[in-house]
Amino acid sequence: MPPGLALGRHRVVGGAARDGRVEMSQEVDFDVIVVGGGVAGAVCAYRLAEAGHEVVLIERGAEPGSKNLSGGVFYCRVMEQVFPGFVDEAPVERRVTRNVLSFLNASSHVNIDYWDARLAEPVNAVTVLRARLDAWLASRCEAAGVMVMPGVRVDELIVEGEQCVGVRAGDDELRAHVVVEADGVNSFLAQNAGIRAKEPPKHLAVGVKSVIGLPRTVIEDRFHVIGSDGVAYAFVGDCTQAVAGGGFLYTNLESVSVGVVLRLDDLATKGLTASDVHDHFLAHPAVAPLIDGGELLEYGCHLTIEDGPTMVAHDLTRPGLVLIGDAAGFTLNTGLTIRGMDLAAGSAIAAADAIGAALAAGDYSQQAMDAYPAALAATFVGADMKTYARAPAFLEVPRMYRDYGLLLADVFHGIYDLDLTPRRHLLGTATRAFKGSGLKLRHVVRDGWAAVRAL
Amino acid sequence: MKVVIVYTWARDGANAAVRADGTVDWRGAKMTAGEDDPAALAVAKRLAEDTGGTVVGLTIGDGDASWVLARGVGEAFSVTDVPPYADNAATARVIAAAVERIGAVDVVVMGDSKQDPGVAPAVAGHLGWTALAGLDSASAVDGRVAAVRRSATEQQTISAAPPLVLGVAAEADVDTKPGMKELLAARKRPLTTWPMGDLVDPGDDVRSTGTRKPDVVAATLFDGDPATSAAQLVAALRADGVL
Ligand SMILES: Cc1cc2nc3c(=O)[nH]c(=O)nc-3n(C[C@H](O)[C@H](O)[C@H](O)COP(=O)(O)OP(=O)(O)OC[C@H]3O[C@@H](n4cnc5c(N)ncnc54)[C@H](O)[C@@H]3O)c2cc1C
Repeated sequence: MPPGLALGRHRVVGGAARDGRVEMSQEVDFDVIVVGGGVAGAVCAYRLAEAGHEVVLIERGAEPGSKNLSGGVFYCRVMEQVFPGFVDEAPVERRVTRNVLSFLNASSHVNIDYWDARLAEPVNAVTVLRARLDAWLASRCEAAGVMVMPGVRVDELIVEGEQCVGVRAGDDELRAHVVVEADGVNSFLAQNAGIRAKEPPKHLAVGVKSVIGLPRTVIEDRFHVIGSDGVAYAFVGDCTQAVAGGGFLYTNLESVSVGVVLRLDDLATKGLTASDVHDHFLAHPAVAPLIDGGELLEYGCHLTIEDGPTMVAHDLTRPGLVLIGDAAGFTLNTGLTIRGMDLAAGSAIAAADAIGAALAAGDYSQQAMDAYPAALAATFVGADMKTYARAPAFLEVPRMYRDYGLLLADVFHGIYDLDLTPRRHLLGTATRAFKGSGLKLRHVVRDGWAAVRAL
Repeated sequence: MKVVIVYTWARDGANAAVRADGTVDWRGAKMTAGEDDPAALAVAKRLAEDTGGTVVGLTIGDGDASWVLARGVGEAFSVTDVPPYADNAATARVIAAAVERIGAVDVVVMGDSKQDPGVAPAVAGHLGWTALAGLDSASAVDGRVAAVRRSATEQQTISAAPPLVLGVAAEADVDTKPGMKELLAARKRPLTTWPMGDLVDPGDDVRSTGTRKPDVVAATLFDGDPATSAAQLVAALRADGVL
């Protein structure tokens, strides 16, 4: 370090111990260090800086967003709490007013196509490209006084006794009253600190995705959307070649995000590679025409959480430390939607408020940090994690990925294929298709009941 | 000597894609530190060190202005609203105007970008100074600059008196990433920003009248055991009348 180097503001904490708590007599560089410049980290840093605290946001990517697989559907109502007017000000792509659930078979598909003008009033979900969104969030953080520090990978937490007091990167240390871990699904920091164990493959899924450029007018024509409206498809069935998981396709302004999410253990069992399944999906006759003539802009893969409800069962706090977003396990995969960004933001808000209170009281004990999970339980994040606790088990049912799609297609085939044989009533057609499917009635009843309870 | 290091003044070609019609799509890529910037910075520091002088940084456009401040340079200037010009001379005009505004500069050092090879010489042209490009290293000897240029067969040392513009080409990727403390310190160092309108009117950027992709040259790969591949190659060369 060069001589005479002026560091960040130094402040001496503590002095007299209150309530027998250990107070540290250590200089801090910041009130709060946030590790990870994704949605969770940026929202938390912004909210704390807005409240007047000194915050550094450390991101390993050369720029916030540069490491993040490009987005998806953001159920963004929660962002209004932090950034009023979010939908109009943030670089969002399209407002999702149409949702298509597609049961895909090798040579047929049945779609449930749901459009509703109410989904735009107020806007409920938007498509985003993370490179743009994260960069915007970082610029808002900077404007609020956060020191955004890109290009730095944090190597470990500094823990003294039980207390987390800072982070280490290379030879450098930074100290703070509270460290926020928002470093995503892998969170090596949490693993190294012994908070999280290495997740079993069953809790994780791999996402492979392409962003395919298409002219705006082509998107409007192909997907029947006008202006800034957009559509989100969720696919089950042949899109994953019977691997547990699903396919997705979202419209951006001038591109389409399309790919698959595959449960890691099942992928290994079936002996397939994620990129082959992705390619198979994009070449499927139901998907290929939607992206025909497009130009591949981006291709990447990323881990995501399959069983968030089980993952978040570990601790979310330690003295001087809180975990938010994917680092804590806040992702819900219901089969119909993948939600992670909204839960990242929700957990970030709850954490920022708890940390704000801790800073005001000068108390960074376990008890003070635990105000965060307590507050979180009362929000939509806590509630939804509970509600969907059964979804991962439901999604394990192998029939989801093959049989039901075929059955549906057979029912519709019976209705529409007028092959000059006498027609049956719908019930007869359905019964016949069901009998031919090899499915057992008790399985269907059980799966139906499980679906009703899980989703 | 007062040395100006010009940095993050161009976009990274790796962030661009060439469309089917030959036009280049930059996808909103920002200006970034080029692969030659660290080598140029090392030369600038060396010249200042040799002469007990100073280095100041100069950048243009939307890149990270603190790049040089986190790497030991004490002060920097930034012309903020410069678009990425297609015309090297336009980029150079802005840089030259900023160098003049900084004032009393002896040497300008910048990376010898492969994508924008004209900028360094054009800066010298605008300033009316001597340009030395393709340099490997440089030091100061008796108030003059001893600049070293290497080719495959020889090493050339050129002695020239300031004012000079030096273009430095990196031999290897030599950037060392600054640590957190350096990044914090960089925040405290003075950065002066100027809107381009205060300095210069760069004129119109060049306009492209057409693009196309270069023709694809067909290639044949003989792949297999060496003896068979060699025989196939010879046969193909015979068939083409080369042998
Ligand atoms: C294929 C796929 C599709 C998805 N689709 C959707 C969707 O449609 N809707 C939705 O809401 N969610 C979706 N998700 C989930 C969503 O992406 C995540 O839940 C969300 O990004 C979590 O945000 P986060 O801020 O917690 O973590 P991240 O966005 O992962 O951000 C973590 C950040 O921390 C940085 N970092 C990591 N380690 C370090 C370190 N040691 N030092 C410094 N920085 C570090 C990373 O570079 C990264 O920028 C999808 C995920 C995948 C993989």
